Amino acid sequence: MNHDDDTAQQNVARQSGPLDPLGSNSEIGRKLKQFYDGIVSDQVPDRFMDLLSQLEAADSSRKKD
Amino acid sequence: MSDGLQFKQDLLGAIPSLRAFGVSLTQNSDKADDLVQETLVKAWDKQSSFQPGTNLKAWLFTILRNEFYSQMRKRGREVQDSDGAMTARLAIHPSQHGSLDLEDFRTALEKLPEDQREAIILIGASGFSYEEAAEICDCAVGTIKSRVSRARTRLQDILKVSGEADYGPDAISSHVMGSGAGV
Repeated sequence: MNHDDDTAQQNVARQSGPLDPLGSNSEIGRKLKQFYDGIVSDQVPDRFMDLLSQLEAADSSRKKD
Repeated sequence: MSDGLQFKQDLLGAIPSLRAFGVSLTQNSDKADDLVQETLVKAWDKQSSFQPGTNLKAWLFTILRNEFYSQMRKRGREVQDSDGAMTARLAIHPSQHGSLDLEDFRTALEKLPEDQREAIILIGASGFSYEEAAEICDCAVGTIKSRVSRARTRLQDILKVSGEADYGPDAISSHVMGSGAGV
């Protein structure tokens, strides 16, 4: 039991150490991901696809000239 | 031609992350999308200066960030929204993404200074290393580390989250699942 406790403490120390201050073990870290991933998973507006197609078309017409 | 096509595909793939970073900076989804649009145009024009095989996402984030700060300098401080505007206009649907406590978190994030907010987003959400984030923000690695640390402390204060290090992963998730607004 003592041994298990020691291991658990070591894990906590490692996960909350300077290398991983915002890991999945952190409530702040998980909220941050939740906030960010919510936006990432939104559908990309059509305007961006249209824009890239326009840029591409402009490039290829320039090359033909 | 096929290079151009690949580049276009790569840009398309990066748009969701760019929008998320843009919203994090501007706190406004319309302004974020304008920023993403500027970023895509600039990236397209500068594509010959991108080194294939290097980190396209970091390169694009750098462009977006530079664009944000140059717009902010031009417009003064009005880029910052007044209270509540971000919450009202953000394209996140509460029914889809949850919970009151995400609203609380977003409000708390708005209260951070920009340099801390971008640092904690780049490290904690965008998945960049400290070295990459330092390059994107054009500062030292140690500066990023201290900004992330200050941002985290500030968020913990605002959200009254404490003693995170005392919880194991299971304790954290059950604690969070079980408690409404994280208070």
